[in-house]
Amino acid sequence: MLIMACQSSDNSGDQSNTNPFDQEWDTPFSIPPFNKIKDEHYMPAFEKAMAENLSEIDAIVNNPEAPTFANTLDELERSGKLLTKVQSVFFNLTGSNTNPKLQELQRELSPMLSAHSDKISLNEGLFNKVEAIWQDRDNLDLNKEQLKLLTDTRKGFVRSGALLNEEQKANITEINSKISELTTAFGQNLLAETNDFELILDKADLEGLSEGVIAAAAETASQKMESAETEEDKAKYQDKYVFTPHRSSMYPFLTESSRRDLREQLYNSYIQRGDNDNDTDNKEIAANISKLRAERAQLMGYETHAHFMLEERMLKTPDEVYSLLMQLWKPALERAKVEVADMQAVVDAEGHDFKIAAWDWWQYSEKVRKAKYDLDEAAIKPYLSLDNVLNGVFETTNKLWGLTYTELFDINVYHPDARVWEVKDKDGTHLGIFIGDYFTRSNKRGGAWMSSFKGQSNLDERERPVVVNVCNFPAPVGDDPSLLSFENVTTLFHEFGHAMHGIMTNVTYGSLAGTSGPRDFTEFPAQILEHWASEPEILKSFATHYETGEVIPDELINKLLKASKFNQGFANTEYLAASLLDMDWHTVTADEALKDADAFEEASMSKIGLIEEIAPRYRSTYFAHIFAGGYAAGYYSYVHSAVLDSDGFEAFKEAGDVFDPELAAKLRTHVYEKGSTEEAMDLYTQFRGRQPKIDALLKVRGLDGSAD
Amino acid sequence: MNFFKIISFLFCLFLSSLVYAHTQDDLVILDIEQGELNFQDEIVEQEYIAALKRQRLRKLAAMPWQEKFGVFIKAGIDHIIPKGLDHILFVLGLFFSSLLLSSLLWQVTAFTLAHSITLAFAALGLVQIPAEIVEPLIALSIVWIAIENCVFKQTNKWRPVIVFGFGLLHGLGFATVLKVYGLPQSSLVQSLLAFNIGVEIGQLIVLAVAGALVWFIRKKSWYRLWVQIPASIFIAIVGLYWFIERVFL
Repeated sequence: MLIMACQSSDNSGDQSNTNPFDQEWDTPFSIPPFNKIKDEHYMPAFEKAMAENLSEIDAIVNNPEAPTFANTLDELERSGKLLTKVQSVFFNLTGSNTNPKLQELQRELSPMLSAHSDKISLNEGLFNKVEAIWQDRDNLDLNKEQLKLLTDTRKGFVRSGALLNEEQKANITEINSKISELTTAFGQNLLAETNDFELILDKADLEGLSEGVIAAAAETASQKMESAETEEDKAKYQDKYVFTPHRSSMYPFLTESSRRDLREQLYNSYIQRGDNDNDTDNKEIAANISKLRAERAQLMGYETHAHFMLEERMLKTPDEVYSLLMQLWKPALERAKVEVADMQAVVDAEGHDFKIAAWDWWQYSEKVRKAKYDLDEAAIKPYLSLDNVLNGVFETTNKLWGLTYTELFDINVYHPDARVWEVKDKDGTHLGIFIGDYFTRSNKRGGAWMSSFKGQSNLDERERPVVVNVCNFPAPVGDDPSLLSFENVTTLFHEFGHAMHGIMTNVTYGSLAGTSGPRDFTEFPAQILEHWASEPEILKSFATHYETGEVIPDELINKLLKASKFNQGFANTEYLAASLLDMDWHTVTADEALKDADAFEEASMSKIGLIEEIAPRYRSTYFAHIFAGGYAAGYYSYVHSAVLDSDGFEAFKEAGDVFDPELAAKLRTHVYEKGSTEEAMDLYTQFRGRQPKIDALLKVRGLDGSAD
Repeated sequence: MNFFKIISFLFCLFLSSLVYAHTQDDLVILDIEQGELNFQDEIVEQEYIAALKRQRLRKLAAMPWQEKFGVFIKAGIDHIIPKGLDHILFVLGLFFSSLLLSSLLWQVTAFTLAHSITLAFAALGLVQIPAEIVEPLIALSIVWIAIENCVFKQTNKWRPVIVFGFGLLHGLGFATVLKVYGLPQSSLVQSLLAFNIGVEIGQLIVLAVAGALVWFIRKKSWYRLWVQIPASIFIAIVGLYWFIERVFL
């Protein structure tokens, strides 16, 4: 440990009194000076940044000269730099390297930042300037990107109510405030409901569960025992095993436990969250949010909230969304029914006399999977070491676009697991910095995401981005490298796709750069890259055994591909049901009475014929995405992006070469480089040559009847 | 066509679409889906240390062999000066045993040979003795040779054998440190060799400095009474203190 002290990154911070956010960063590539930034620097930095931002806005508004693109929009682009800087570091670290202090700060900052952004989006003086320029736009000789910036900026103000009269504005503000209260309450209720339910089991109740799952449940029990306050409470957990409605606890239980009664209990606790007629019930809250949103939309001049949300998306009307969802719904439901029959056959063969119910799905689909596909995860993992897969994605993007990657070793990072690469373009010019933070940690949030520390812009000088991919793969144990599952590999490629979007982007205005476009488009650059990971020729180039060096055998690859259409009926049905529910909630009109959430949902689901063995992926009372998050009338985004990525990759298949240079160039130019400088549909059609078709997706998911 | 597209699709559904740093909205969703994070300082610390080692090994793996060699030589020297106070004291214990260069040479050779052998064996995983046993014994070895210095005016013929025996112990101690530091799999032997060379250089420096300090007084009649013995007593006391510390604390 003595030698280690020499090598560890310097955490002492020589000038601990100076706030690094107060200074210009002289770090390589403007990577944040992580070794100097301490928890106590954030709040003062935020306060200063917000004040600075407001005075920059004031300067624009109070400029006595007539408003021009240069003195208004360009200046708006330049404003808030410090705030962006602080936010980037702060929100990244609260995800990947957090601690109780940062979490507390987050809670404090949330209302402050909300209020701050309102001050700008509701600034009348600022809007007036933008509006003046907008009215005069035809005389201004603006280029395409400038026009888009102007349009988007103005639209942002309008969508916040800028064109309304005083009374209407007051109404909007009141509605917003109510909605905000309700969405906060929704989230808190759901949190409480999810955290409160516990399935406390004895050793005798653990039939069917694997070692790892049992160990995790024991760990949950001991954590609960530790945080219990009374002796009585502590005794509840002594020598017990606890399962909760969190996915990471519930899914393994539902898959492995042979106790049908317990599966039913846990499953029901999950689907009844927020629907228990108690203090933390969400039925009324959801219905009220929907109604208020409808009212607000009407005030703003839109038919429904969905119309309002879709204005900014790739699909522009609720009809288009419903059409997409229903086209997929029918084949998905048909397939799901076949899957039920397959599982019932297993139940019957086992000699049981029950009918497959929703809480049987995970258990029996797994049995069907093992019988039909015999896919042994443990046989594949040795071929998929993290370094091999990383080389794989680097090689793939090199073959597609000539990018090269050089690992940098002397950068101060926020955690030693964060690796830094310089990404260079084909001609050797610096394109951006990629940070890869791949392993699970106790102070890192679950899941996988892409984010950025610095954006791209060409407004004043050539500024290149610093992006990060954070994943949660198991850390290496002992001397073995980290071995990934194929699901992990797909995740890695997916997030890298987002990274490519953030790195290859090349626009003038930072607000329009990289991943700034609509949700139903921005998943496309990420999802399309996943396809390359499952191309046999590419797999064979990087999937080599970490001990023997042997290339992954064709037999294993075939097994992987054959099993690709497994359970798609279920997955698509539960997802589409939730998407349709989302759209139904947000196509209510302002004059409709307040809904009864259960009845509304029941009607919605029976209208489309949802079978009782499947619940929508999110029921109304726990649909956090739409009632506490930003996906209202937007949950369909995932499947819409899937249409794009399947159709998009199909182009390469049609060309017969997954590295077709012409297609690769088009993909780069129109999809990866342009950010949101053009309408998403235009970007797609320029790449593909036509609008997207749904057929490729149906084929990929075996919903065209091709699955066995 | 991709089996795991379904899983990743499900995955996508709640997390991987987060494009910028989590917005407040997305954080709410995460909190609900995953449960809150449980912080335990020791675990965070352990993870950090393990990650630091991985980072170091990555950096080493990317170096050209000459640079790597240099890094390990430095590490070896470093492990004596200044981090190897116990080894420094042991070497000084050898130094104060005799004024005869030949005696010193035999002892140092025996020590070097012995610790090189066990360092190699232990670092390569061929021998595994827990540090809780090795470290106190190293402390005792210091006491032993220091006391021998006081008792015997001149080293006897068994001294090099005893020193050899203790050298085996010290080698095990070096190996523990080296394992924690991390040996690159791909150039195990060279790194081991370089580290050992570093250790030898460290030792030689200690001897050279000690030699320089006593050069002008080594022939004095009072050298034994006022330099050799007090120094050895001091070394023995420190060694004893370390023994107690390592066993009982």
